[in-house]
Amino acid sequence: MNATKQIRSHIVLAAGIGMLAAMPAMAENLVFTSWGGSTQQAQQKFWAAPFTAANGINVAMDGPTDYGKFKAMVESGNVTWDVVDVEGDFAYKAAKEGLLEPLDLSKLKGVDPRFLSPNAVGSFYYSFVLGYNKQAVKGAAPAVWSDLFDMKKYPGKRTLYKWSAPGVLEIALLADGVAANKLYPLDLDRAFKKLDTIKSQIVWWSGGAQSQQLLASGEASIGMFWNGRISALQKGGAPVGMSWNQNLTAADMLVIPKGSKNKAAAMKFLAYATSPEAQAKFATDTGYAPINPQAKSKMTPAVVKTLPDQHVAGQINLDMKYWADNRDAIAKRWYAWQTQ
Amino acid sequence: MSTALSSTTVPVRRRFKLGPGARGIKLLIPVLLLLAVFFLVPVLALLLRSIMEPVPGLQNYVELLGSQTYVRVFFNTFMVAGVVTLITLLVGFPTAWLLAIMPKRWSQVMFAILLLSMWTNLLARTYAWMVLLQQTGLVNRVLMAIGVIDEPLTLVNNLIGVTIGMTYIMLPFLVLPLHATLRAIDPSTLRAAAICGASRWQALRLVLLPLALPGIASGALMVFVMSLGYYVTPALLGGTGYMMLAELIAQLVQSLLNWGLAGAAAFVLLVVTLGLYAVQLRYLGGGRSGMGDR
Repeated sequence: MNATKQIRSHIVLAAGIGMLAAMPAMAENLVFTSWGGSTQQAQQKFWAAPFTAANGINVAMDGPTDYGKFKAMVESGNVTWDVVDVEGDFAYKAAKEGLLEPLDLSKLKGVDPRFLSPNAVGSFYYSFVLGYNKQAVKGAAPAVWSDLFDMKKYPGKRTLYKWSAPGVLEIALLADGVAANKLYPLDLDRAFKKLDTIKSQIVWWSGGAQSQQLLASGEASIGMFWNGRISALQKGGAPVGMSWNQNLTAADMLVIPKGSKNKAAAMKFLAYATSPEAQAKFATDTGYAPINPQAKSKMTPAVVKTLPDQHVAGQINLDMKYWADNRDAIAKRWYAWQTQ
Repeated sequence: MSTALSSTTVPVRRRFKLGPGARGIKLLIPVLLLLAVFFLVPVLALLLRSIMEPVPGLQNYVELLGSQTYVRVFFNTFMVAGVVTLITLLVGFPTAWLLAIMPKRWSQVMFAILLLSMWTNLLARTYAWMVLLQQTGLVNRVLMAIGVIDEPLTLVNNLIGVTIGMTYIMLPFLVLPLHATLRAIDPSTLRAAAICGASRWQALRLVLLPLALPGIASGALMVFVMSLGYYVTPALLGGTGYMMLAELIAQLVQSLLNWGLAGAAAFVLLVVTLGLYAVQLRYLGGGRSGMGDR
């Protein structure tokens, strides 16, 4: 046991010296890039660290994910990222533009087919949920997206995701009475008309930390949030609540950039990260759902109950394929409307 | 007095222009190379992308200047930068003057405070403003507690928030050059003005301000140009009604991967900024000799 550990540390040392001497990359290293914060910490702790212990492959952390950088690396041929955590619609778009390596699907066992494609495999999946500050809302707790547009019943600022991305437009349409299975293609005119009714009361959040700050302080009384962010606030004792009704799900995806120099190691990492054990531990820590259904047997029932995939009644899958195809056109309308 | 001043300044200017000569330029070569490699080449690459992507042609510029959205964002950018520059000047000039005339021991403490704010992480400072200015924040609570207002004021997610946040960040960039200029002004010129019968206001308007003009101009230009490209503060403290160009470019580069349009936007901003710089050089760069004629 000790001997192997020693040998392993020698390997690590040798790899380090090799990199210092700028020799061609040793096969047994890879760089994992994600979004930083508590999510990436969990990915390091529950995916990268045990993976290194089991395979002797070093995983260096980098971040945050930046699609501009991603594209620049692939175009210049100087790819320093080997596995990258990206949003679902980017994964489709990048595959279409030829920025991704194909995956060896035979190595990815048990993954929910919704989160598996020739170039990308799910990382974790999350929901946009309705969140509210318990001190700021009076009477019955808000439960559905139309409550977010009801200024009489729930006065105060609302906070929504700032950028042109899956989520806000779907929420507006659902609030306006569009049936969940009739959302796509999105009726943009109708969505913006609905958003106009609360436009002056919207405070936009551009990142997860900001969304938490706005809600916990009471600056916004109600809004849309990533479910993990509300869970974290609740764990910290903030007076906030959430409704899982009509929660909108989407998955982050793991991809290998085209031209990765450590493709084989990256593929092994993907196999490990999507395995039931790794997914179970990550989900327990973050409150995001595993993309491998077998993971649930390895989690305590209490934790399983809090995951997005327990709220399938009324759950709506954001259509990433639709967004990948239409993102540019929607973005134009979005920013035109926002800056008006 | 006016002829004496201009006759002394002219030779000085000439000597500065011709004196160091070729040897000075040689010493500049490493810096020029650095700028060429790390600034000029990327800018040219950007320009190239803006006319080559997705197909060769000027379609990115047509889209940029033909779209109401982008024109509005351009307008916002210059408007916000202008407002921030103005407020920074109004706050920065008295500050710099105070620093210049107060005893050295105190001015050192003031400088330390000023610089300390620059060494703190930008994101942390911006979040601090958010916490202070929001409806449930300290400023609103104090104002309500002492009865100045009944309803909380909206101080963030609008133009007010951006202006406050950016003015705070830009202040040192104006105060430092202005302080240097003010320090160089001989206090006896103000005494002379008083002896000649000028009121305080006249002394400020006719003596101090003209003498400080070069410092004001360079500080203001620095603030204005830096504000044009600012990203973090407007993104966090501003609402979308005043979205600035840097935010839009970041979206185009990082999220929409539309580098052609982003390049065009960046290039138009660069050209307009250089144009403003040229105007400033033409009309304010000569401020020093102009003031002698007064």
